[in-house]
Amino acid sequence: MQGQDREQELAQIRMKLKDLLVSSLNIEEVTPDQIGDDDALFGEGLGLDSLDAVEIVVILQRHFGVEVKDMERGREIFRSVNSLADYIYDFQHPTP
Amino acid sequence: MNIAGLGIVFNRGRGVASLERALEEGWRPPVSLDLKGVPGLKAAAYPVAPETLDDKAVLAKARRADRFTRMALLSAFDAWTCSRLGQDVAPSRVGVILATALGPHVTTFGFLDGILDFGDAAVSPTAFSHSVHNAAASYIAMTLGLRGPTLTVTDFHFAFHEAARLANLWLDERRCDAVLVGTVDELGHVMQAACARLLAAPEDGRIKPFAFAREAVSIPGEGSVFFAFAREPPPDSFGALHVAAPGAAPAAGLTHCLLEADGLIGDESRYANLVAPGAKIGAYAPLFGSIMTGSAFHAAVAALMVKGQREYACPVPADAPGVSAIAATKAAAVGAVASLRLNCAGALRSLVLSR
Amino acid sequence: MSSRTDTGGGKSAVISGLGVVSAAGGNVPETLRNFAAVRRLPGPVSLFTTPLDPPVFEVKQPLPGNGASRTLQLALQAIREALAGARLGGDLSGRRVGVCLGTTVACQLNDLEFYTAFRRNGVAPLEPVRRFLKGNLAEAAAAEIRATGPHITTVNACSSGSDAIGVALSWLRAGLCDLAIAGGADELNRVPFCGFASLSVMSRQPCAPYDRDRQGLNLGEGAGVLILETPESAAARGVAADLVLAGYGAACDAHHLTAPRPDGTGLEAAIRASLEEAGVTAADVAFVNAHGTATRDNDKVEGAVLARVFGPGIGVLSTKGYTGHTLGAAGGLEAAFTALALREGWLPASAGFANRDDEIPLGALRERTPVRGRWGVSTSLAFGGNNASLVIGCNR
Repeated sequence: MQGQDREQELAQIRMKLKDLLVSSLNIEEVTPDQIGDDDALFGEGLGLDSLDAVEIVVILQRHFGVEVKDMERGREIFRSVNSLADYIYDFQHPTP
Repeated sequence: MNIAGLGIVFNRGRGVASLERALEEGWRPPVSLDLKGVPGLKAAAYPVAPETLDDKAVLAKARRADRFTRMALLSAFDAWTCSRLGQDVAPSRVGVILATALGPHVTTFGFLDGILDFGDAAVSPTAFSHSVHNAAASYIAMTLGLRGPTLTVTDFHFAFHEAARLANLWLDERRCDAVLVGTVDELGHVMQAACARLLAAPEDGRIKPFAFAREAVSIPGEGSVFFAFAREPPPDSFGALHVAAPGAAPAAGLTHCLLEADGLIGDESRYANLVAPGAKIGAYAPLFGSIMTGSAFHAAVAALMVKGQREYACPVPADAPGVSAIAATKAAAVGAVASLRLNCAGALRSLVLSR
Repeated sequence: MSSRTDTGGGKSAVISGLGVVSAAGGNVPETLRNFAAVRRLPGPVSLFTTPLDPPVFEVKQPLPGNGASRTLQLALQAIREALAGARLGGDLSGRRVGVCLGTTVACQLNDLEFYTAFRRNGVAPLEPVRRFLKGNLAEAAAAEIRATGPHITTVNACSSGSDAIGVALSWLRAGLCDLAIAGGADELNRVPFCGFASLSVMSRQPCAPYDRDRQGLNLGEGAGVLILETPESAAARGVAADLVLAGYGAACDAHHLTAPRPDGTGLEAAIRASLEEAGVTAADVAFVNAHGTATRDNDKVEGAVLARVFGPGIGVLSTKGYTGHTLGAAGGLEAAFTALALREGWLPASAGFANRDDEIPLGALRERTPVRGRWGVSTSLAFGGNNASLVIGCNR
């Protein structure tokens, strides 16, 4: 039951993330559902850059209440929609 | 300084052809805009249409750019492309000077929305980095791959004059072999709301440059004009542009004189004294609107007159006695055209375009 | 790879006065005392309310007030000191004086009180708008001192002050004026403070330019201004021509809106152009007052370029350890500090620098160092990618 809830919530987070990435970063050639969960967001994949990275930090704050304190860790967290969604979920459900 | 290329983005479209068409077609009524945040207030304006800024190819690397930057980028791109200077001049030898009166105020207020709605710790870095005056020039350099000096300057009335004068110095000093010089200013709801209180608007939608009124009427416009300047006259040139010394009265020998009266300074009675004897008078602000960097638009009109050896009927005609205003659009001998602008203190600056 | 056909070494301008105000001091003598003592005063923001806590470098000196914007007051303070040093009165109407000043804050209608009122009431309060429309920095400063020559405000982000000085040099060479007041000013303002914080480039510690453990910049405020004049004007006024501005170079990275070009070729081009214009070789240069913001990117790129152009033994300092990053004022302040170092014969320790970063081929000066040579260079790297370099010399 818990596993299913987690999966459902992660799916919702991923969908919301894709919508926000496209709208907030003004991505014009790709629609939210065309972004693969595991596609690279930076470099060759979606082609995001360092300015997008700090904008994503704000997206996480404003829409998920999540903070990224250390931008050096950012590389791993921002690698794909999956890694972002996992980070958001873990932040919102901290293990005691 | 020779004009090798010209680009324009304004309410009547993009490109030199759209300016020629607007001059041939004449005055059109302004658009009535609802102002965000000011319920009930409708303001007349000459905005750039959304489809004018639609160019996926040029804007491919400008996905985050705001309207202010897009207007500047498209007109600079056109000026540079039509100049063909890129074939002969190395990118490191091309300078860019952008002049603006108000800067990207729409994005600035959007950034302030972020502070007020989300707090200091959750503001958008993208909005911030586009709210600085020099972002547009940066995009121009990036898109065209230009590596010479890149500068943005601001003044409320004469920014274009100082930018053009500086470009001339850069060419003389051989700091550059070509310079892209232009202006961009945009409409926005906050400044329009302020304008609605500070300035008088005409009931019939017509800016009246020949009324020489003490409370002149204005209709805000927006847009961008860029010139590509070179030391030597290129084939198919738009002629030469000279920035006159401040305060200098229009020189003798002008065939035509443009009055940049557009209602922004309020009291335009002094424009009546600027009518140079022997020159035919034009005034074209009623086509593109009242823009603080409007001098660049008038210079563009003058450049077309020189290149095409053509006069354009004033969109809102003169009914003042003794003013030899251009009444019909036709071929004409155009030698030298001065474009004259006054600021609120009565200081005069002029540009002269000639063959 | 310049195709310039002139021989370089074009006419220098005399620097006959300079004025500074920053957290490092309200004037030149106080600043030199703080430089000598390696004393710096970062602290929490006091000029406005914010939940953000990175340290800043505020000007503590009270300013005259009189309704003018803080940026204009800072500018006028520095201008007055510079004019006094140049033995010029406050009314310049009898002379041909140009004014070129750089800023980032003063050009924007970013008044939060005004905008809050607009959002609440749907009406634009007119007084702030009128003040804004009368507040173009160079125009307002020129009016205050009755300078009637050319004036323009440069708004080129972090290189605005240096670019303003470059513009003034062009004006003087072209004979548009005999004297020019050039530099920059910026007040500490909540809007760029939030903006730079959002870019993740602000350090929560006092900044450490060129240091291995640097974590970013601190914002500061201030104004730095030079009085430049033609040699003929200086001679006619009987003013010593010891300090000169000999060269200005600028070049764009054309790379990214907020990050410098990693290979530093834009900055390198600007430096080489300024040296060529001054008729000075890299070996002639005694030191560089670097842009040195203490961000990971800036110092790494800039350090590599400085080592490449001048050799890794060149003396490098960043005075931002004393002033913070003063944005539009930085180029003006740092040109003044470069001139002062040449005049006084010593360079201050680069405050905040402790350990060399192995990724940067050179480090900053750890202690007060005598100046051995007649030439100094000041570099600026702006957001948006413009790079500027000034070559300043001392004739003594």
